Amino acid sequence: MQMTCETRGPVCIMRVESDRIDAAIAIQFKDMFRDMAATAPGPVVLDLAQVTFLDSSGLGAVVAARKLLGAERTLELAGLNPAVEKVMQLTRMNTIFLIHATRDAALAAHGVAPAA
Amino acid sequence: MTNLARAPSDPPAGGGSPTIGWGYRTDIGATREQVSRALVRLNHELVGLGLERDALIPTELVLAEVLNNIVEHAYGDSAQGDIALEAAVHSNTIWCQVIDFGRPMPGGKIPPALRYDLDAMKVSDLPEGGFGWGLIRDLTTNLIYERTGQENRLSLSIDLDC
Repeated sequence: MQMTCETRGPVCIMRVESDRIDAAIAIQFKDMFRDMAATAPGPVVLDLAQVTFLDSSGLGAVVAARKLLGAERTLELAGLNPAVEKVMQLTRMNTIFLIHATRDAALAAHGVAPAA
Repeated sequence: MTNLARAPSDPPAGGGSPTIGWGYRTDIGATREQVSRALVRLNHELVGLGLERDALIPTELVLAEVLNNIVEHAYGDSAQGDIALEAAVHSNTIWCQVIDFGRPMPGGKIPPALRYDLDAMKVSDLPEGGFGWGLIRDLTTNLIYERTGQENRLSLSIDLDC
């Protein structure tokens, strides 16, 4: 799997460049997230627009990512596809994360204008 | 290896008259990677039947949980073992049967769903696992587990409208 990291204002946007976060790549996701989160101090927005499938192992990895940032930093999610949203709802994890419709909406919520 | 064939047994009565006469059987090696690939293949087959992608979300999720449980618990991550997955679509229901030869379920029973009180939790206490059986139980009907000899057999059905 691949992830990209982009800093916009105070926000670090991590985009998952894979269509699945499942048991096969959950550990890899966690490792990549940890490495990227260490390079930026602020809030993190995880852009999941490309992810069309998340299972409970993938969800566990996203929760682990949240915990890794500690109570001082936030992890927000953006661009949830229907399958990802379904898992978040069924496990009630949608009450734990601030969820934005899109990456640009997440940026706007932090006062950052979207790229032209 | 994937081969298309009629499912060996008819689903129980009461599922409505079959509108799609389709059955599928595949053998999956007990690793997370092979499970992931098998799910993508099955989804591709089902979409090819004309089923809506969004209607298949519960099926892929349930089977991901069931199959990865077998990899992790029945076979204990030994990377050895086979899983047979059978699926059949009748009317608006998908019937699945999953067979493995690993350890039996704890106490010979399907584990209960774990429910967490997330509102009361500190970030550091949030659960990173244990969601699987809750998802399976929420999204299936007719969930039956049988242990016969060395064989585990889990049967379930999933409503395509849910």
